[in-house]
Amino acid sequence: MSGGETQLPVERGSLLAGGTRTRLLHAGPSEASEAVVCVHGNPGSADDWTGLIAAAASTGRRALSLDLPDFGEAIAPAGFEHSVLGYATWLGEALKELGVDRAHLVLHDFGGPIGLVWVAMNPDALASITLIDTGILPGYRWHSLARIWRTPVVGELFQATATRPAFRMLLNRNEPRGLPRDFVEAMYDHYDRRTRRAVLALYRDTDDPGAAAAELTGLLAPREIPALVIWGEEDAYLPSSYAERQRQAFPSAEVHVLPASGHWPFADAPETVERLLGEFLAGLPADSPAA
Amino acid sequence: MSSTDCPPTIIDEEAAYDAVVVGGSLAGCATAIQLGRAGLRVAVVEKQPDPGAYKRMCSHFVQASAVPTLERLGLLEPIEAAGGERPRVRIWTRWGWIEAPPERAARGVNLRRELLDPLVRGIAAETPGVEMMLGWSVERLLRENGDFAGVAARNREGEERELRARLTVGADGRDSRVAELSEVPVKTYPHNRFAYGGYFEGGAPANAPDATAWFLDPQWCAAFPTDNDLTFYAAMPTKDRLPEFKKEPEAALVRFLSEVPEAPPIRAGRAIEPVIGKIDMTNRMRKPVAPGLALIGDAALATDPLFGVGCGWAFQSSEWLAESVGPALQGNESLEQGLERYRRRHRHELGAHAFFIHDYATGRKLNPAERLMFSAAARDPKTAAIFDTFGTRQIRPQQAMPRMIPRAIAVNARHALAR
Repeated sequence: MSGGETQLPVERGSLLAGGTRTRLLHAGPSEASEAVVCVHGNPGSADDWTGLIAAAASTGRRALSLDLPDFGEAIAPAGFEHSVLGYATWLGEALKELGVDRAHLVLHDFGGPIGLVWVAMNPDALASITLIDTGILPGYRWHSLARIWRTPVVGELFQATATRPAFRMLLNRNEPRGLPRDFVEAMYDHYDRRTRRAVLALYRDTDDPGAAAAELTGLLAPREIPALVIWGEEDAYLPSSYAERQRQAFPSAEVHVLPASGHWPFADAPETVERLLGEFLAGLPADSPAA
Repeated sequence: MSSTDCPPTIIDEEAAYDAVVVGGSLAGCATAIQLGRAGLRVAVVEKQPDPGAYKRMCSHFVQASAVPTLERLGLLEPIEAAGGERPRVRIWTRWGWIEAPPERAARGVNLRRELLDPLVRGIAAETPGVEMMLGWSVERLLRENGDFAGVAARNREGEERELRARLTVGADGRDSRVAELSEVPVKTYPHNRFAYGGYFEGGAPANAPDATAWFLDPQWCAAFPTDNDLTFYAAMPTKDRLPEFKKEPEAALVRFLSEVPEAPPIRAGRAIEPVIGKIDMTNRMRKPVAPGLALIGDAALATDPLFGVGCGWAFQSSEWLAESVGPALQGNESLEQGLERYRRRHRHELGAHAFFIHDYATGRKLNPAERLMFSAAARDPKTAAIFDTFGTRQIRPQQAMPRMIPRAIAVNARHALAR
């Protein structure tokens, strides 16, 4: 990842929210009540966002990311509900704990549905949204890997046999430029037993990732929320044809389809994604005075 | 420079020419230069009245394959004197950069058409035996005993002239009127990309003046540094990307190029003229001869601009024609023999190139054989050198494949084992 090249130091801390002790990566003014909040997908962790947190903080904003429960190094408490709603609720609790009233959400992959459900519960708390290979997905049919995870026994078998080389091969097979080795290795390090179980539960609970598309569009479109959409054209999991369609919910969205990128543009084209996010945030009105 | 030399009014209506060339652009003027130097009488009929007219939508890249032709025509020196660059080509692929070792990489020519077209036209106009008729359009083709025998042309005042000639040459581009009137057989191949491009000043790309092309597969874009420290930036995306380009061509082009891997500094530059686009680029391959008639340049083969072959092949096909029909026009053999020789030469040189180019123009991604060669060329300098010789069209696919494929397999096998 490109975090090492940026000037602004990204600090590491931890946070207890909703019974989960999670890692916190943050930069910028830590007391601000308005913050850039990055929500990772699957498989993913707070680490995904190192470069983008630095890029966001360089616009003078508070920026942070967290491990979602049972991802990265976070351990969910017994009884945690591994569903989009469960994660969205937890995200709300974590933001409350952090004193964040208004969020510039940056979402990737499964972080999309989770973040958008949080938005549905707190529509006034959304200052802007950045969607990276995710968003509102009307009519989406689960990708093949998800269909495997969603099938009882087959999913367990798959997770049990996902060795490091197999994981590496599977991931890179679908990436047009390949992903940086360190990025994939870190991803696998975090893809432990707990995460594998959480993945199965989360995907099995999510029958239709585009379920609330119409409701979300109806709720968000009139609000004219500033939006940035970045999508890798060669995304093998969530087709880039959805990029333009985000304008239905975010009519003024700036849409960038990166022609040589896959599902993780912030890993295979970090300079471009960091620049786009930095420019987008810099172009927004300054944070509210309460910040 | 040319219009004053030979004003159309002095042309005798009954004049008979050895050849009448329709189209006073690169291919047409190059033909006129060669035939004129061989002592023949040539009329060049060009519908644009302005001697400084030039083709606007063009990357102006002349492949290295055409450099010997430019040399023989005496055009290379004036082109370089006019500020023309001599670029090598670098290609970005997902496997890395394809860059032939500098000493083995071939150099093409880059001079804006704004300068190149008037330069070549001026040299043609000064060639003894060549009469430039600027501002004249072809109305119909003349026939004699079933063979084509010149054209009837009309100027802007409505005056019509019959220009009789033993050989009629269509050098009037992709939408050739001569080809249409002569009804030569044509094959078309779909093109599912579109092109936008424009000249920028400020912020030279890495390795300038070398040209850079990004094979983003299936998307494509390129940067061609050229004369006067300008850079021509071009994008050829698949047609699903068209709406954003139609809406704001310059913004879309800048965005596209600034978001590719190791992006060129297009954002630091400034467009010196509007970014323009071409949406329909259907590939057209015409039979390049008919009795008494030949087609050259884009009129014979209008193929995907993605590979930058149009300008070079315009010069080269003009030379093949001039060499083929020279003896006949000098009276040493029948014109039919000369034209047949040109037809065979054209097909021999370009047929297989065109086959591969047309296939990729469908907008598809690289196929397994292409992936094999691109990846090996990115990993191995020797493969890159063969790739470069082929990509700059100095060798035909039939010559390139047997040299490249075994090597590519070995390179990739070594690469896989080393991992």
